[in-house]
Amino acid sequence: MKPTDQNGSPDTGIAGHGSFFQETNLSREEAVRATDWVRKHVDRRTVDLGERMDDVREHMYELEKEGEIIIHRITDEHEPMAVRTLFGWEKKVPTKQLWHHKSCGQCGNIPGYPTSLLWFMNEFGFVPGKDYLDETDQTSCTAWNYHGSGIGNVESLAAVFLRNFHQAYVSGKQHGHELGHFYPLVHCGTSFGNYKEIRKYLIESAELREKVTKILGKLGRLVDGKLVIPEEIVHYSEWVHVMRNRIASELQKIDVSNIRATAHVACHYYKMVHEDAVYDPEVLGGNRTAIITSVAQALGAQVIDYSTWYDCCGFGFRHIISEREFTRSFTMDRKIRVAREEANADVMLANDTGCVTTMDKNQWIGKAHDQNFSIPIVADVQFAALACGADPFKIVQLQWHASPCEDLVEKMGISWSEAKKNFQEYLKEVEKGNIEYLYNPELAYGGQA
Amino acid sequence: MQQIYDDIRGDFRYDNELNGCLNCGICTATCPAAHFYDYSPREIVQLLWTENVEQIYDAMQEKIWACAQCMTCAARCPFKNSPGGLVAIMREVAIKHEMQSAKDVLRPFGRVMLKLITTGNQLSPDMIQPDHFPDWGPNIQKVEGDLTVLRKAIPVKTLQTVETAWEVSLKTSVEMYTIWEMTGVLKSLELMDENLFDVIEDFIDEKREEYDEWLEEQEDDD
Repeated sequence: MKPTDQNGSPDTGIAGHGSFFQETNLSREEAVRATDWVRKHVDRRTVDLGERMDDVREHMYELEKEGEIIIHRITDEHEPMAVRTLFGWEKKVPTKQLWHHKSCGQCGNIPGYPTSLLWFMNEFGFVPGKDYLDETDQTSCTAWNYHGSGIGNVESLAAVFLRNFHQAYVSGKQHGHELGHFYPLVHCGTSFGNYKEIRKYLIESAELREKVTKILGKLGRLVDGKLVIPEEIVHYSEWVHVMRNRIASELQKIDVSNIRATAHVACHYYKMVHEDAVYDPEVLGGNRTAIITSVAQALGAQVIDYSTWYDCCGFGFRHIISEREFTRSFTMDRKIRVAREEANADVMLANDTGCVTTMDKNQWIGKAHDQNFSIPIVADVQFAALACGADPFKIVQLQWHASPCEDLVEKMGISWSEAKKNFQEYLKEVEKGNIEYLYNPELAYGGQA
Repeated sequence: MQQIYDDIRGDFRYDNELNGCLNCGICTATCPAAHFYDYSPREIVQLLWTENVEQIYDAMQEKIWACAQCMTCAARCPFKNSPGGLVAIMREVAIKHEMQSAKDVLRPFGRVMLKLITTGNQLSPDMIQPDHFPDWGPNIQKVEGDLTVLRKAIPVKTLQTVETAWEVSLKTSVEMYTIWEMTGVLKSLELMDENLFDVIEDFIDEKREEYDEWLEEQEDDD
C-alpha cells in the first residue's frame, strides 16, 4: 500500500512525517545493506568515533613488535576473567597477583575501602606477598592536581604513570617472583581515567615517548632500555565486579534484600576513555556501566534508579577545596536530594575517592538552607564487606564517614553501638601498641609472608 | 593574544579534542559547572571553532576555571569534541603566559599543591579536620580520639600516617622531584606563586639531602 500523509493523501511523503519524507524504493538487498550500515555506524554501542574507535591495545602490540615498548601482560597466572566494554571489546580483569595502587584521596578520607578490598583478598585465601602486594614505593597519579590547577602537563602525568607502573612490573623481584608477577590494580577513578588517557597519548605520540624515555632512563626505570606499559588499566571496582558472584556465594552472611541501594559511578570511570568502561547486558540491560550495580544485585539488594544517575558528584578537583559552594550545592541539589526523594535510598554506592568524599562530607551544611536530606555514602566494596560480616569499624572503617551510616548498619542487622563499643576498647589496645594487621606489614618493605 | 591562541592550537591534543561544532548544546545541558557559573562548554568550543581570539582571551580570564573536569561533555558530544579537554589545554596556556586569573584562582589551592608536590599525596588526614572544613560539620569522625591512634587502628600498615594519605618511601619522593624538574612543573609553579615555589624548593633540597645521607649509610653498612 502506498503511504499517505496525515490527510490520507498519497504521493506526499511517508505517513505522519511530512512531504519531504519520501520512500526510498530500495531493493531488499539494498535496504539490508543500508540498515547494516546504520547499525554499524549509528547504533549506540558502535558509534563510529573514527580514530578514537581504534583499539589502543592493537597499536601497543605493534609497538612492542617493533621493539619500542614492553607490554606488562595479564597472564593465566593472574587468573583473569573476561568482561565486555562499551564498544564490545574484551577486557581481561586479573583476579590475583595484584599490586595495590592506592588513591591519595581515598587513603586520607575513606580508608575503609582499601581495607575492605584487602580484607576480601584475605577472605579468599590470597597470600600476601604472592597474591597481592601493598607497598610504599608509589606516588599518586597526580591528576587531581592537574585537573584542579593546570600545574602539571601531559609529560609529567606520563612520567608518573610509567614510573608507578614500572614499579608494579618489577615489584615481585624482592619476593622471588618473575618480572610482571604483580599486576597494578588502580583504586582511584581519577587515576584510572587519567592513566588510560595518558596511555593513549603515549601510544599515539612518538615525541612524547621520546621525552619520557629520557626521564624514565634517568630514574633507572626502563627495562632493556624500553618503556613498560600495561596491557590493561584495571580499576578495583572491576575486580569487585568479576568477583561479585564469588563474594555473594562464598562469603555473604547478611541478607540485604531490604536495603534500597542507589548507584553513583565516577565520571572518570566511564566518561573518560569511555570505550574501555565495563558494560554487561545482564546489568541494567547494558544501558549503563555494570560496575557497582552488578555487585549490589549479586548481593540481593534492591537497586533503585533515580533521574540524575548520570550527573557528576560535584567534586570538581579544585572546587572541593576552594569553591565549596559549588561542590556542596551540586551534590545536595543533584544527588543527595534526588536519591532521597525519588529513590528513598538507604545508601548511595560509589566507586571513587572524590565522589564518596564529596557526597559524604557535604550533607551537614545543607541544613543551613533547609536541605535536611542525608544518605550514607560508601564505596561498593565497603557495602559488600558489611554484607559479608566485616566489622563496621575495624575493617569497613565507617568512623571516617560524615554521612549517617548508623541507620544503614542497623538495618542490615548489625549493632552499631555494640561495634562502636568494641572498637573503642580496641583503641585502648592500639594505644598500647597491640595493633591488628590484615597482613604482615613488613611485606611492604621486602619481608617474608 | 594571538600567541596565546597559537599555543592552544599548537598543543598536540588540540585536533583530537576539537572536531567541529553543531552548537547543539548537549555539552552545556549536562555540565555541572553550567548550573552554577557563567560558563558553558558550548561557548568554549564555539570560540575555539570560530577562532575568536579576543573572546578566547576573555574566557581565559575567568570562565575556564569553572570547569569541573568531569568530562561529561566529552562523553555526550556527537561531534567527539572534548570541551573539558580543551579547557585543560587552555589552563596550561594561561599558566605559561602568567595570566592573573590563574594566579588568583590557584592561590587557595596552594596547600594541596604543596602537599602533592612535596609528598606525592594530596589531602592528608591532618588536613581533613573541622578547623579546615567547618562546613563539613563538627562530627567528621564518628569516634572521638587522637588522630594518630585512629590512624593506627587502620589494619593496613601503609595507611597509618597522619601527614600523608599513605607512607611514601623517600626514594619514591626523590624520583618524583626529578619528574617535576624535567617536565617543567616546578617552573610553572614558580610562575604562579613564587613564595610557594621557594617553600617547595627548600623542602625538596632537604629531602634530597636526607636521601643522599641514607644512601651513604647503606654504603657504609656494606
